[in-house]
Amino acid sequence: MAFAYFLGCIMNNRYPGIEKATRIMMENLDIELKDMEGASCCPAPGVFGSFDLTTWAAVAARNITIAEDMGADVMTECNGCFGTLFETNHLLREDEEQKEKINKILAEAGREFKGEVNVRHFAEILYNDVGIAKLSEKVTNPLNLNVAVHYGCHFLKPSAEINIDNALKPTILDELVEATGAKSIPYKDKLMCCGAGGGLRSRDLDVTLDYTKEKLDNMTDAGVDAIVNVCPFCHLQFDVGQTEVNKKYGTNFGIPVFHLAQLYGLSMGLKPEDLTVDAHQVCVDSALEKCSLEDIENLDKITGGE
Amino acid sequence: MKQLKRLKNMLLGEEKQKETDEQVQQSESEIETKSKETVTPKSEIENRETDPKQEQNESKEAEQGLEPASPKLIKEEPKEAEEKVLKVPKKVEEKPKTTRSDSMTLLEGRDAETITRAEIDVNFKQAVIDAGAETLSLCFQCGTCTGACPSGRRTPYRVRTVIRRALMGFKDDLISDDSLWMCSTCYECQERCPRGIKIVDIVKIARNYAAQAGYMAKAHKMTGSYVIKTGHGVPINDATKALRKRVGLNELPPTTHEFPEALEEVRTILKATKFDNLIGYNWETGELE
Ligand code: SF4
Ligand code: SF4
Repeated sequence: MAFAYFLGCIMNNRYPGIEKATRIMMENLDIELKDMEGASCCPAPGVFGSFDLTTWAAVAARNITIAEDMGADVMTECNGCFGTLFETNHLLREDEEQKEKINKILAEAGREFKGEVNVRHFAEILYNDVGIAKLSEKVTNPLNLNVAVHYGCHFLKPSAEINIDNALKPTILDELVEATGAKSIPYKDKLMCCGAGGGLRSRDLDVTLDYTKEKLDNMTDAGVDAIVNVCPFCHLQFDVGQTEVNKKYGTNFGIPVFHLAQLYGLSMGLKPEDLTVDAHQVCVDSALEKCSLEDIENLDKITGGE
Repeated sequence: MKQLKRLKNMLLGEEKQKETDEQVQQSESEIETKSKETVTPKSEIENRETDPKQEQNESKEAEQGLEPASPKLIKEEPKEAEEKVLKVPKKVEEKPKTTRSDSMTLLEGRDAETITRAEIDVNFKQAVIDAGAETLSLCFQCGTCTGACPSGRRTPYRVRTVIRRALMGFKDDLISDDSLWMCSTCYECQERCPRGIKIVDIVKIARNYAAQAGYMAKAHKMTGSYVIKTGHGVPINDATKALRKRVGLNELPPTTHEFPEALEEVRTILKATKFDNLIGYNWETGELE
């Protein structure tokens, strides 16, 4: 099995530990990840789609053509990138007129969208192509953690086009998280948005933080040890955003945040510093200690968020 | 007897309603033909592109009850039409206000804000549909979307009214509304809409019109400019370079960051779609205008 590995922006440019964990994990699972050389920002579905849908689809289509040249399906582990690339791929495959329009633009850059590859989300590949049974076998350090699973918005929705799981009552991520030995804890309004998307974070941080605080309140009430997500932007929002919530509301939240790839990294025995969790804004030591992983040297917190 | 009377009233009322409806429909077609002669959405957009600020000033003046210095041709004609046919709602307006409503400061100045038929852009609904929202006309205003909306729970944003205004052609009111940008594109509304309307697409299409008309936040233009400059909405920084190196990854990811010729391709596309103009990007200074 091989995939064209789409990086995007926030993972590789802010949380490289997610990328590192994924590369090691996939090797461990005999899945080849091929770099999509010269790929760009997806571009973000909410922000760029809101500016100009044609530009959005054209830049996204260019990214897809890179995978077409490689003859491999795209794998991304960001909900935003997944939303953009999946939707564009879907749109241009269904709508000849749109495809022609976009291809005219792409021709100027010497490219053509053909519609030959699929766009897949990392978590869905783990669930459907690898399977929970095989994943459980690879877990060497079962994690003793109570986890708040955060699905994010552009992973399962719009479900009319994306057919991964029931968008209102999903279980896919809970099952994936529980395969590491952790426990997925139900909490109020679990499927609610983190608040960062749609250009809201850059345009009106106060509204974004109000969303995030509601989620953090509900997670805290449920008594969780960590938040697990499948989107670097949600990840950033729960990590950087959590400190912003504390500043704005005078609260004291300190829930460690892990991308699913980092959680699997821990359960497969990777060193926490290889996952760059030591650079998160919210200290993850409490979660690591609970998993009886060695306490890590407290390096400078250098991951900034934009 | 009472019931009979009520029934009769209802029926009569309905008939009256029918008449009004017919009148209104007639008037709609009148407006349509008239404005077809005078307006095309393109020319309107061009107007805006040339000077969105002037547009804003104009609407500000209008709010203060001043006539804009140079009222637009487009808007004059339908105003006449409106006066001719909308006698029914006018009557309602003439009712004397109760003292209670006089004392409600929230209502003060509302008359000036009342939207009239003059503000209908008869081509807008079709334009939104043509932009990919075929489902728009199916909305029956049930409000499920707003009920599901996490943004509506904390902001003045009401997604149902976005759909309604798109349907009615209240283009200016919609695209100049700041709350349009309060949607986090979470799809909660769309998942629950009993008519399967692609609500988020409609929000984005409305925002595209807003962006073209100059209602685009500085912060958003900045994000756009990062993509022109680097190919990434969130470009790399020194701290992350160090972190990448520490875990054994290349300092630069194998993206447009590592391949300058790939960045050129992206720039060619952004020029072809005139994205650079949209955000006011100056290629020479690398700054926003
Ligand atoms: S849920 Fe659908 S049908 Fe109901 S008001 Fe919203 S868009 Fe219209
Ligand atoms: S997608 Fe936007 S309008 Fe719909 S529920 Fe989410 S925030 Fe509200």
